[in-house]
Amino acid sequence: MSSDLVLPGQPIPLPRGPVPQLAGGIYSRDGHVRASLVGVPRYEGSALAIPRTRPHPPSPDSTVLGFVSRLSPQQAVLSITVVDGVPLPPGEEFTGVIRVQDVRATEKDKVKIADCFRGGDVVKGLVISLGDARSYYVTTARNDLGVIFATSEAGVTMEPVSWQEMRCPRTGRIEKRKCAKPEGL
Amino acid sequence: MAQNNFDRRRINGPEESFPPVFEGEDDIPDTLSGKPRAGRNPGDIRPIFLKAGLISQANGSAYIETARTKIACAVYGPRQSKTTVYSENGRLNVEVKFTPFSCTRRRAPIRDAEDRSVAAQIQQALLPAVRLDLLPKSTIDIFVTIIENDGIEGCIASGSVAASAALADAGIEMLGLVMSCAASTLGKEIWLDPTEKEAQAASGSLILAGMPALDTITSVWQSGRMTPAQAIQCMEVCQERFVDIHSIVAQALLDNAQVT
Repeated sequence: MSSDLVLPGQPIPLPRGPVPQLAGGIYSRDGHVRASLVGVPRYEGSALAIPRTRPHPPSPDSTVLGFVSRLSPQQAVLSITVVDGVPLPPGEEFTGVIRVQDVRATEKDKVKIADCFRGGDVVKGLVISLGDARSYYVTTARNDLGVIFATSEAGVTMEPVSWQEMRCPRTGRIEKRKCAKPEGL
Repeated sequence: MAQNNFDRRRINGPEESFPPVFEGEDDIPDTLSGKPRAGRNPGDIRPIFLKAGLISQANGSAYIETARTKIACAVYGPRQSKTTVYSENGRLNVEVKFTPFSCTRRRAPIRDAEDRSVAAQIQQALLPAVRLDLLPKSTIDIFVTIIENDGIEGCIASGSVAASAALADAGIEMLGLVMSCAASTLGKEIWLDPTEKEAQAASGSLILAGMPALDTITSVWQSGRMTPAQAIQCMEVCQERFVDIHSIVAQALLDNAQVT
């Protein structure tokens, strides 16, 4: 493989042997393997792909960051601003929904949305499906998913004390959130 | 009638205006057919200047200039579709705008039928090339601004080329780059890439768009009188030019990719 840039439609020279798995930016048509993006094809594990760092819409299994824009007893509406670590251009958010059964993995029937999220919280979630016409379905049912940034009623950034609670450092009051497990613990 | 589509939001030009007549312009004869083409050979296209990535706030952009045709193109998205219908495939939205000073006669900055027909043809040329199956529920917005217009055929062809370069610059997956070329029949000759004057004198015009990398045609548009044999000949000469245009687009994209 050379480190040459390829253009959309350009055939990609392959080494002899079986055709590798094709990932993003590459397609196969009429027996030719061609690029569909401008870039340098690279191997990512066993798959051949043209890596891209451009903003792209969420797809199932992508990790998203977003802030809570609306709450109801059935769901929390999320405004997705980061997809797979790539921030979206300003004003081009996608709408996600965390339904009450997707908040946590256990005791799903006891979940109260108001005890898990508040407006303005920054939430890390995983897209489970493309959802309906308006929104993507997002889940936080994993230890490392949930609220990662929240401000207290006093307006101070809170720190997590357990997976269900956060404490305000100024007033010492405890507020309920579905916290994400901090990375590197 | 003038009161009907009076534009309150912008500064309106005078109700009646005339393009300036320059000295020496009268020398150009009204009918061009039967005479050899002035300035270039029948099979020549105007020189193309193309630069990708000029509009910083857009996701991808391109500027194209072929002699007196100047077009800027910006691509935004993929963003979430605003329509309430679920769609498995993405949508490609093309909007064309003429600047008020783009034509010999002032154009009101209101969308009219010509904008939409140009937009429809550019969308038609690009649609088979974009991999919209990878973008469910999303919309790609393409805005084409015609800064200077020298023949609507040239605008559609150059607009398609610029839009395709802008899509590649935006990192949107495509099967191949779309090239486009126009041709007109004057008498028995076929003149490629006609200017406005030449297109007016022509008996028929044809615009061909395709992906030379895949050796496929994405759109053919023909207007005026043309025999089937002439139409096929037009398509053949247009397709020959695709290779030249493709090399210009490829160079512009490679230059841009190396800078970023």
